[in-house]
Amino acid sequence: MSNIALTRIQREFKEVIKSDEVKNCQIKLEPFEDNFTHLKGEIIGPPDTPYQGGKYTLDIVIPETYPFNPPKVKFLTKIWHPNISSQTGAICLDILKDQWAAAMTLRTVLLSLQALMSAAEPDDPQDAVVATQFKQHPEIFRSTASFWAYVYAEAPRNEKMKEYEEKLKQLQEMGFHEKNSRITALSSKNWDLQAAMEFLLP
Amino acid sequence: MEERKIKKMDDNEMEECDMGSDEDYYNDPDPDVTHTDNDKDPESFEYKILEVVEVEMLLNTSVETMCKTIDVSPSLAKLLLHNYSWNTQKIEAEYRQNPEQLLINGKIKPSKIAKGVSRKNECIVCAQEVDTLLGVECRHRFCETCWCQHFEVQILNGVSTAIGCMGTDCTVLMPEDFVLSILRCRNQSKLSQQYQELTFRSYVSNHPELLYCPGPNCTAVIQAKAKEAKRVDCKKCKTTFCFKCGIDYHAPADCDTIKKWLIKCADDSETANYISAHTKDCPKCQVCIEKDGGCNHMKCKKCGHDFCWMCLGDWSAHGSEYYECSKYKENPNIANESEHAQAREALKKYLFYFERWANHDNSLRKEKDKMKEIAKQIEEKVTTKDGTWIDWQYLNKAGELLRRCRYTLQYTYPYAYYMLKGARKELFEYQQAQLESAVEALSYDIERAVLDSRGDIENKMDVVEKRRLTLVREFLVT
Ligand SMILES: [Zn+2]
Ligand SMILES: [Zn+2]
Ligand SMILES: [Zn+2]
Ligand SMILES: [Zn+2]
Ligand SMILES: [Zn+2]
Ligand SMILES: [Zn+2]
Repeated sequence: MSNIALTRIQREFKEVIKSDEVKNCQIKLEPFEDNFTHLKGEIIGPPDTPYQGGKYTLDIVIPETYPFNPPKVKFLTKIWHPNISSQTGAICLDILKDQWAAAMTLRTVLLSLQALMSAAEPDDPQDAVVATQFKQHPEIFRSTASFWAYVYAEAPRNEKMKEYEEKLKQLQEMGFHEKNSRITALSSKNWDLQAAMEFLLP
Repeated sequence: MEERKIKKMDDNEMEECDMGSDEDYYNDPDPDVTHTDNDKDPESFEYKILEVVEVEMLLNTSVETMCKTIDVSPSLAKLLLHNYSWNTQKIEAEYRQNPEQLLINGKIKPSKIAKGVSRKNECIVCAQEVDTLLGVECRHRFCETCWCQHFEVQILNGVSTAIGCMGTDCTVLMPEDFVLSILRCRNQSKLSQQYQELTFRSYVSNHPELLYCPGPNCTAVIQAKAKEAKRVDCKKCKTTFCFKCGIDYHAPADCDTIKKWLIKCADDSETANYISAHTKDCPKCQVCIEKDGGCNHMKCKKCGHDFCWMCLGDWSAHGSEYYECSKYKENPNIANESEHAQAREALKKYLFYFERWANHDNSLRKEKDKMKEIAKQIEEKVTTKDGTWIDWQYLNKAGELLRRCRYTLQYTYPYAYYMLKGARKELFEYQQAQLESAVEALSYDIERAVLDSRGDIENKMDVVEKRRLTLVREFLVT
C-alpha cells in the first residue's frame, strides 16, 4: 500500500468513527484482519424503503492507487435492487467508476450507497431482471425486496411473507433443496410457482 | 490530346499534395472513346490527407481565433473548442447570449463555487500539511504531488482531455497548460509526451472535419468539409475507408446497413465457416479443383469444362443476359411454412449472400497477388523486348479497375440482403448481375492476357466501369 493511501485510510477511519452517522448507527467501518487494504463496511437500510431496518455488509478493497482510483465495493449481504447484482453483489454506481473524485471518502461512498437504496436508477441497471420487475411490477418489487431484506439482512417480518414462504415450501417439496436458488427463481418469475419451477429445471 | 497531357502532369503534382483525386480511374482507357457523364460521379469527394504538423496548424488557427473572440488563454480556448466539437459559431453565439454559462457548459468554470477548505494548508487528498496548494478556476486546491499522481493514473488509463478535478462533485476539466506545468515540475517527461499524444488524438476525434486513417499504424489524418459516407483512399497506407463511419468503404450499402451486416457476420461466423472452402470438385469429372485466382469462371484442367465457382453451374449460362447466379430465389410460399422451415430458409438466404460476399473478398486478395505476378511478367517481357513498358501499362490499369469494380460488387451483397422485395430490388439485382458478369469477364481476360488482347480488355474495362457507375449512381444514397 502506498504512503498516501495508508495515511488517507487511517484519517478516514477517524473521520467515520467521529461522524454523526456512526453515532446514529447508520454506517460502520472496520478493517478485515488488521489490514487497511481490505475493509468491511456496514450500512443500515434507510427508512421508507423495502430495506428499512436491514443490516447490509459491504466488502471494500482499497487499491494501491487510492484515492486516485475508487475503492472496489460490493455487497456481501444479498439484496434485491435494480443497481446491485442479486447474484454477486456487484454495484453499478457512478462514483465507484468514472465519477469518482480523489477528495471523496469512504464515508461519501457509504452514504451514497444508502442514498442508492432509497432511490434506485432502473435505467442504468446492474441486474436486468430486478430492473424489469421494478418498472413493470413495482408492488411485487417492493415486497420481494423486503422479503430479501428479512431473509438475508435481519429486517423485520411482515404479513406478505407468509405467502412467499408457502411457495418456497412448495418448491422444496418438489425436490428443489437449495434455498437461495428457490428464492432467486421465485423472485425472478414474480412469484409464479409454475414459471419458477421451469426456471429451476436444467 | 494536348489537354490530356496537361491533365496527366496535374495528376503527378496532385500525388505530392495528396489530394484525393480519382482522375486516373475515370480517364478513358482509350483516348478515342469519350465518356460524357463522368462529371456526375456520385462517389467523388474532396478531401485532404494531413500530416500531424498540418493538423496542429489547423487546430491552432481555431484556438487563436477563439482567444481573440473571447478573452481566454489558449489552453482554455482549446478545452472549450474541444467540448463544443470545434464549433466556433456555436461558441460565439452562446458567448453573446451568456458568457458565464458558456464557460460553465465548456467545463472551464464550476456550476457552483467550492466552499473554502477549513484547515489552511492541508491537502485533503493526501491528508498532509504542505507549503502550497494548487488548482484552477473551481478553487479546489490540492498539493502538487497529488495532482501529479492523479494525472498519472488518468493518463495511464488513456484519459486526456477528460481529466477532471479531484474535488467532490466538481464538473471542471483540467486545461492542458495546468496538466503540463505539473508534469514538468515533477520531471515526468515521458508522461507528458503520452499526454500530448492522447490529447491530440482526442481533439482530432471530436473534430467534425477530421478523421484518423483507420489503417494499421497509419498516422494520416483526413480532412473534409463534412462527415459524409464517401470513399477516402489513404495515399500513405493504401487503406480505403468511409469518411463517415471510418470502416472499410461500403458503397452502395450505407453505414448502418454495413454495420448491421458485419455484426451479423461476426455473430454467425461459425455457421458460415464451413462454406469458405478453397477446393471444390469439377461438376463434370469430379476432379478436385483449387481456386487459385480471383475469377469465378473456372476451367477444369482435366476435362476442360467451364463452370461457375459459386453455383457450380455451366459457365455458358453466366455470360449472357440471364446471369442469375447473384440472385437469391426465395421460396414464394415461405409465409405458409412451419416456423422451422422459415428459420431454415432465413439461414439459407443469409448463407447465399454471405457466400458471395466472402467469395469476392477472397477474390480481391487473390487478384492482388495475381497483379504482383503480372507486374513481374511485364518486367520480363519488357526485358525480352516483347513490347515496351508503355505497351503493357494497360494491364496494370485494368487490374486496378477490376479491383475497384469487384470491391463495389462485394458490397452489393449486404445491400441486397437487407433490401425489401419489389421492383427496386429487381432493378438492383439486374444491375448487380450485369456488373457481376462484366467483372468476371474482365478478370478472366486479365489472368490470360497477351499483348494483342489489349483492345479486348480495354473494351471490357469500359463496360465494367460503366456498369459499376450505373449501379452506384442509382442506388448510392447521397
Ligand atoms: Zn496532496
Ligand atoms: Zn474542482
Ligand atoms: Zn492511412
Ligand atoms: Zn460508412
Ligand atoms: Zn472436370
Ligand atoms: Zn454461378
